[in-house]
Amino acid sequence: MVEHFREGLIVCDADGVVRHLSPVAERLVPEVVPGEVLAAAGVAALGGDDPGEFTHHGRRLRLRRVPLSAGRRCWYVEDVTESVSRADALLAERARSAFLAVVGEKLGNPLHPDRAAAAVVRLAVPTVADVAVLVLAPRSGRARWWRAVRADDDAGDNFSSARLTPRRDLEPSPAVDSGVLAAAALPSAIEEGLGGAEPHALDWLVEQAVEAGWLPGLDEAGATARVVPLPGREAPAGVLLVARRAGRWHDEADLDLVRAFAARAGAALTTALLYRDQAEVADTLQASLLPVEPAAAQGVQWGTAYRPAQAGLRIGGDFYGSHRLVDGGSVFFLGDVSGKGVEAAVFTGQLRQCLHALHRVESQPARLLKLLNDALLETTQAHGQGRFATMVLGVVRPHRDGGLTLTMAGGGHLPPLVLLASGEVEVVPLSGMLIGVVPDPRIGEVTVHLAPGETCLLYSDGVTEARGGRRGEEQFGAERLLHAVTGCHRMPAPALAERVEQVTCDWLGHGDHDDIAVLALRATTPGRPGRHLHAVPGPVGTDRTRETDA
Amino acid sequence: MTATTTEAHPAQAFPGYLECLAEADEHAAVEVARGLLESGVPAERVLLDLVAPAQAEVGERWARDEWSVAQEHAATHISERVVAAVAAYADPRPTRGRIVVACMDGEWHALPARLVAEVLRLRGWQITFLGASVPAAHLVSYLHRYDAHAVALACALPMRLPHAHRMIEACRRSDVPVVVGGRGFGGDGRWARVLGVPWAPDAPTAADLVADERALRAVPPARLDHLADDEYASLAKRRGELIDSALADLRERVPGVRHYTPAQLDSTVSDLGYIVDFLAAALYVDDETLFTEFVEWLVAILVSRRVPAGAVALTLDHYGQRLHDFPRAGRFLDRARALVGGLSAVPER
Repeated sequence: MVEHFREGLIVCDADGVVRHLSPVAERLVPEVVPGEVLAAAGVAALGGDDPGEFTHHGRRLRLRRVPLSAGRRCWYVEDVTESVSRADALLAERARSAFLAVVGEKLGNPLHPDRAAAAVVRLAVPTVADVAVLVLAPRSGRARWWRAVRADDDAGDNFSSARLTPRRDLEPSPAVDSGVLAAAALPSAIEEGLGGAEPHALDWLVEQAVEAGWLPGLDEAGATARVVPLPGREAPAGVLLVARRAGRWHDEADLDLVRAFAARAGAALTTALLYRDQAEVADTLQASLLPVEPAAAQGVQWGTAYRPAQAGLRIGGDFYGSHRLVDGGSVFFLGDVSGKGVEAAVFTGQLRQCLHALHRVESQPARLLKLLNDALLETTQAHGQGRFATMVLGVVRPHRDGGLTLTMAGGGHLPPLVLLASGEVEVVPLSGMLIGVVPDPRIGEVTVHLAPGETCLLYSDGVTEARGGRRGEEQFGAERLLHAVTGCHRMPAPALAERVEQVTCDWLGHGDHDDIAVLALRATTPGRPGRHLHAVPGPVGTDRTRETDA
Repeated sequence: MTATTTEAHPAQAFPGYLECLAEADEHAAVEVARGLLESGVPAERVLLDLVAPAQAEVGERWARDEWSVAQEHAATHISERVVAAVAAYADPRPTRGRIVVACMDGEWHALPARLVAEVLRLRGWQITFLGASVPAAHLVSYLHRYDAHAVALACALPMRLPHAHRMIEACRRSDVPVVVGGRGFGGDGRWARVLGVPWAPDAPTAADLVADERALRAVPPARLDHLADDEYASLAKRRGELIDSALADLRERVPGVRHYTPAQLDSTVSDLGYIVDFLAAALYVDDETLFTEFVEWLVAILVSRRVPAGAVALTLDHYGQRLHDFPRAGRFLDRARALVGGLSAVPER
């Protein structure tokens, strides 16, 4: 019956002489001979008191000792080679999946192309390479490359004194650098890889990589290298060269892992490049739709704030701006078009272009607004858009007694506020109808005089209709705005505009909001003598003050 | 140059500079800074030894209710202009990679971050200063568009730490290392350690940190296991309800509250909200001192504005009752309550 056991059996008497040896035991430990002392077999593990596993003749054996009656002892010997190698294979497989999971996590997010390239080589070391070089497909004859080199332990120690944050339980992250090579100077194996093939002639690969200067500190003799293409949209996005030091070659499972890694890296690079190209286009278009800061005008200090509803987008349906007039005055405006997002932003672009052209033929605010109304009406009818705008449009001119004169026309927009020198805040009575809806809208007009230091404030309904408060449902409202700017009459215009933006956003908490735009015009105070300049040494400072006061 | 110029020192210029801020005199303030530069004081010293301490003083004066919010805003605006002038004067040539400097969404005190940005610029980095209150989505799309060596993120108020953590994670998902700074992470950066992010106490340290690629990449793990008790998430969800009931409680127990003007009511509501938000942030990093330090500060601010501290005690009691099944929050509230204990008693108005 004993023969059928998976385990082999050795029984010794009280003197340590082998009295029984099962066929399995005989096969696993052939040194043991029945009738002889067990110790004479010379198998160290059999002599110990606390046996466990040991390797014998290339097999993994598990040993367990059981005391029997009359001082006899018995050993069970089991061959666990296969289960151990299965466990090892499982662990290795798990390590590979864990590695690919980390790779997926790191490369799964949209990245800047350069970041993606650096991340690819950094992730490759040390799991699939001691040195990893990524070469991107050349653009206009130049190929950019990134390289990560496994940090030596001693190198890590050299750095440790300079570290500010202690590192725990972390493999020192590999040093990453990058460079550019002329496409013509690329090693032939890399070129082959860029063509989509995985080069099979590996003999010269290490030499080629060394020649390119990519394998610093790697002993050429015995080092091994592989090249895998990183799949792109049509041709490969690039190739990855993985090199190992002597004694650590890539087996077939390693190569599979490198290829799986390359597939993910290729996808990440392709996405990054695609995203960059599209972001470039979007950025250029957005830049053309962003409000332009008002042009400097005599006696006017401008202040602006702009916060589009969709933060990731940077543009929206609110707009402001100014144009200088030949007579020294300026046209200024702030408004809001119906709708949100890109379409609204595009409409503000059309509107601003209309104004840019029209202010050259008409500078009287109410008449200019009517001209704009007609132009917009024509455009929206032609495109069937049904879009409209609300806005305040004014002309500002320096007043002969100092200060500014503002003539403003209202197109259905929130009335401006004036911060008086007394500290009071007045609502400018300005009404009117929407722009771009009916052919001959009623447009209100009003003239306001700003004494030096006084400010006129224009804002969009994103301010007063901001929803916040206790439950995030209450509108900010005109009353709160009035209260927030009361006592702010001494503020410079940019600070005032920012304050309005700030109190609005504070009210919102982190809630969603509509586009927010603010335009402030402050009548600058005439230059005063530099009475603080006693703190400034030398004549240089005084000169410059005279310049700025002039 | 005359004798006075050779002795030029930011400390000597400080009183005059502060006077310029008080007078909202931009030109004069710029001239003080420029005078120092022209007499050979390095730009970094002008920023860190003149502008920074002056701004700290501005904050102090606001806290003591000597300056209005409007004055503080105007002074800050002038400091910004001075920083711009100093930067233009020094005009350093960028020789190193790009660093993006941003303030947390909802944070408007951009000057400290701006100073860090300019010090980094003076040390050769190419700087993008995204300014005050940067929405996370804006920051992330910027990082996709332009390669950055690192992001420097400023957080002035600890109540934004949960949000700061999300922003840090968003940057990391773009594979860009993050350095944080600002009082929001605690005077000693202890809350940055809880969140597992490198922290710099000042601009020069931030400059050293971003130059050390290994330190940037060596990220200690966040220690946020305590979030498993869900107290933070539940509290955040009950924010509106807690404020409502605290206000009702104040109305009932403090007769004066019933006659508050709308503006007084608004600021009471926002104070009640701050208490919840700071409590939530304290739960997030599991540190009662975050909450007790805030309550001490709040009491000082309210007292300087002639609001009795007893009102804070009442609200702490009220929140304590409402949050009886929140053991950690309850402990934090008890500690804070003990702090203001001596100041209790139902206020007059």
